[in-house]
Amino acid sequence: MVDPEESAASGSPELTLSPPEEQILRSLRSSGSPLGEEELAPATGLPADTLRGSLQRLRSKRLLDVEEEHRTGYRLTERGSVARSAGLPERRLARLLASAPGGLDPTALGASGLTEEECSVAIGVLRRRGLLEPGVPLRLRPNVDPGAPTPEEQALDRIAGGERPDEGALPALVRRGLVEVLHSTLRRWRLSKEGAALELERSRGPMIGALTPALLTDGGWRGASFRPYDVRAVVPYRTGPEPHPYAQFLEEFAEILVGLGFEEAEGPLVETEFWNNDVLYMPQEHPARSVHDAFSLRDVVGRITDPALLERVAAAHEGRPLPGTAHPLSRGWRVPYRTDIAERAVLRSQTTAVSARYLARKPEPPFRMFCLDRNFRPESLDASHHIEFAQCEGILGEEGISVRDLIGIFRELAEGIGIRELKLRPSYFPFTEPSVEAYVRHPQLGWIEVFPGGLFRPEVLGPLGIEVPVAAWGIGVTRLAMVALHVNDIRELFSDDLGRLTGRGA
Amino acid sequence: MPQSTLSLARTIEGLRRPPSPHELTELLFRFSKAEASGIDGDELTIEVTPDRLDLLSEGGLRQHLEGLLGERSGLPAIPRHDPGPEQRIRVAPEVSPVRPAIAAVLATAPPGGSLDVGLLGELVRFQEILHATLGLDRRSASLGIYPWERLHPPIRYAVRPLREIRFTPLGGTAPVDGPAFFAGHPMAARYGHLGRVGEGALVLEDRSGELLSLPPILNSATGGEARVGDRVLLLESTGRRSARVEDAVGLLELPLVARGWSLSPVHVEHPERAETGECFVRPRTERLPASALTAVAGAPWESTDAIRELGRARLGADPAESGWSVDVPPWRPDLQGPADLAEEVLLTRGLEIGSARLPASRRRGRRLPAQAFRRGLRERLLGLGFVPLFNPVLVAGSIGTLLGRDPVALANPVSLELSHLRDALLLSLVQSLGRNVRFGYPQRLSEVGPVVLRAPGSETGARTVYHAGFLIAGEGVGFSDAAATLEYLLRRWQLVGVREPVELASTIPGRAARVRLAGEPIAEMGELHPSVLDHLGVPVPAVYGELDLDALAPLLGGS
Repeated sequence: MVDPEESAASGSPELTLSPPEEQILRSLRSSGSPLGEEELAPATGLPADTLRGSLQRLRSKRLLDVEEEHRTGYRLTERGSVARSAGLPERRLARLLASAPGGLDPTALGASGLTEEECSVAIGVLRRRGLLEPGVPLRLRPNVDPGAPTPEEQALDRIAGGERPDEGALPALVRRGLVEVLHSTLRRWRLSKEGAALELERSRGPMIGALTPALLTDGGWRGASFRPYDVRAVVPYRTGPEPHPYAQFLEEFAEILVGLGFEEAEGPLVETEFWNNDVLYMPQEHPARSVHDAFSLRDVVGRITDPALLERVAAAHEGRPLPGTAHPLSRGWRVPYRTDIAERAVLRSQTTAVSARYLARKPEPPFRMFCLDRNFRPESLDASHHIEFAQCEGILGEEGISVRDLIGIFRELAEGIGIRELKLRPSYFPFTEPSVEAYVRHPQLGWIEVFPGGLFRPEVLGPLGIEVPVAAWGIGVTRLAMVALHVNDIRELFSDDLGRLTGRGA
Repeated sequence: MPQSTLSLARTIEGLRRPPSPHELTELLFRFSKAEASGIDGDELTIEVTPDRLDLLSEGGLRQHLEGLLGERSGLPAIPRHDPGPEQRIRVAPEVSPVRPAIAAVLATAPPGGSLDVGLLGELVRFQEILHATLGLDRRSASLGIYPWERLHPPIRYAVRPLREIRFTPLGGTAPVDGPAFFAGHPMAARYGHLGRVGEGALVLEDRSGELLSLPPILNSATGGEARVGDRVLLLESTGRRSARVEDAVGLLELPLVARGWSLSPVHVEHPERAETGECFVRPRTERLPASALTAVAGAPWESTDAIRELGRARLGADPAESGWSVDVPPWRPDLQGPADLAEEVLLTRGLEIGSARLPASRRRGRRLPAQAFRRGLRERLLGLGFVPLFNPVLVAGSIGTLLGRDPVALANPVSLELSHLRDALLLSLVQSLGRNVRFGYPQRLSEVGPVVLRAPGSETGARTVYHAGFLIAGEGVGFSDAAATLEYLLRRWQLVGVREPVELASTIPGRAARVRLAGEPIAEMGELHPSVLDHLGVPVPAVYGELDLDALAPLLGGS
């Protein structure tokens, strides 16, 4: 740590010095020869941080020169120390093979005390040195002296004894993690020509550095001089909190949608299968349900609170006319609808469940709604998949809404985030028909799918009592955030690393 | 996405102008729910959306391409011949509690033709895809292919005691008895539970007692193996639901129909009813009202245009009152109603971006008031120097244990680190504190986000509520820091809560409090117990506070 008092201490056109700086100059002057920090510390009695900061400031005032000597040293790692005392793996294997004239099968080496990695290294080394017969079993060549010290062993001994090792053996030892290289710089400080010529006189009496409460209380500051600070000096690197970048991105994205006339909605993270799937006409026993799987919860069960809606949804699934109507909406899934499945609790796998709840409240058309929130799917975790991800769901309900309008939404949203190239392809979601995926061209990633959507099926809208067509889309906002925030690993979006979030570095 | 690797040569065989690999890829991308995800020599890897399993057979994809390329149009011919007198399956009453649904169709090779190696491979591959997808790994539906000419109809679907079963499993060389098969065969280990009925098992057998298969486990090598050269095949499916076995048989007949095989219905005689099997040998008729197409497309369609596009989708279409009458083949169970048929018209035409624009909004958009409330707290905490976090709602179960809490657990977690739903932001804040020990202190962390609480008896069994939480760690930090911070947050609404002592498992006894407002608990705070800090490797004291925004909001009235 740099002492903030000292960091901004003296230095002006008149070249004022802080007391530590004066002490350093005096010590160097009385020594008459360059000194290192380890010698200056006892000579000046300054704490290490203060000493180091003062030396740098004196150098910037051109009063000191520094001589630097770069040194390279070597040290045994913990693994290296163990290998030196127990023997390098190749030494241990050579001994083992020397005691087994018929040779050993590599698979039998597990019982020798060598780990699998050590066996692999040892066999490789002995083979490279031509000490093994070709093939298996492993056999030493005739006339091999298993006791002769190798250059690596000699190097380990020399390093352990503080001597300089033979350079030839070092790269292999470093690569094997047995030796680490230590780089150091030895600095020795001496007075510059200006420093030597400077007169060290304190003619202005005592000078105040930090203004302490005691000085204020007892009036000690009256009549004293204040030491001027170098207002241009380098100060410590300060960091502070910033808005979380991912949260910030989501906020800004939401504002785009508000600007397009959408009102925000939200729903529970734990849903029943009824709202998560069934209301959306996702069949209960069908591969279409596996469009995405959901997390189920231990010891949590839901219940149906709207039996009339349940009956309408069941009728749509089974291909029966809705209550009070004469004709079925379609053939349906043609299997008996099960309430026990509908009541299961799951972690919401799509924000479309929020759209379903919104529509169940029978909004007055025309309506536009969005929900930007978390969803959960049991995906395998990797750089581009997280089991928790944000989705931006939107619906647009209005008389006369068609696929053209849906495509218009995609186009508008893409332009809203600065993307002009868009292409479409057919897709499938059990709750929309037609279903479309829009791909956008990213300068680095190429075409990426970001806008899946479609028109809600009659089997969704009918049971909910919605009489206008509804376009729906769900944007993979997490993927857009990765692009916008230049993040290559989705897990970084959730980063709680203070180095990243405050810029204070690791 | 369901996928399969098809033979490219067999897929494009017979096309007048076979597309190049690039053309094929582009064509499918733009007009189809299939995607060519890889072409390597003769290997064509196709991925499809779950509704278009028919495109995972060479025959199905070829028919589709014929339509898209304009080489053929309309419903493919389904040659039919009348059933023989014994062309029936009798269902015994014992099967109904387990796997009551069964459906079948007979397929006969065109004159001079028979089952060849390519077609047999295609059938078997498609059968396995249907098992894995539509069949839900045989739970919902399983399929069998049998050499009809070597059987003695009628066929019986029944339950037979294990000790009476003796057959040579497909792929085996010697007969085994039922108990030995169920005890040792890998297919029995995987699917045996689906075909067991008490001490017996489901069987398909012919009049002579020859065992065709143990559905849905495995066919017999003697009575249930279709071979190259066979001319008449029985395609059969059993399952729990009639609709799914019908879908399965309808799809499996597609590769044969595409090669000119003719179909003949197989009667199924259940104890209480009979099924003719006609649905597998003739198309069903659906109606597409013109209004439905107009609604989806955004503009009216000329009748001839709609009929042409439906034809390119390989459907039969004729004008009908106020729309069209559409003939749908048995391998298109995805076409459930007008919405699906309208989509077929649009997709074969191609989705065009053109000049599409978002219609002007007639209402103003708005954020949820609750979001503004949360954002305000986030900013207030930021102003106090707290680093805002955005943590997953899912946390490690171990953190719940460490803090003495009991968060809701996932029944099917995929990661131990993300296996429980946090019931307080404290869980995430403490995890973050533990992950940041290398940065030194003081640390001031905050988060405003959702937590999940148990709510037995409620609609979803749980409640999602929003909290605002903070954690301060550093030398000299104490309970008063948490209390002062919480009071500062509440002063935003000129509110003062009442603190009352509380014992919390993760805090030092006597150094935790709950805050009440108008008698309602709205927050808690405390100093973390040294055992928690020790576990995390945090060398300084830490305090936290957590405000329940859902509890607080109703008390604020209109503010």
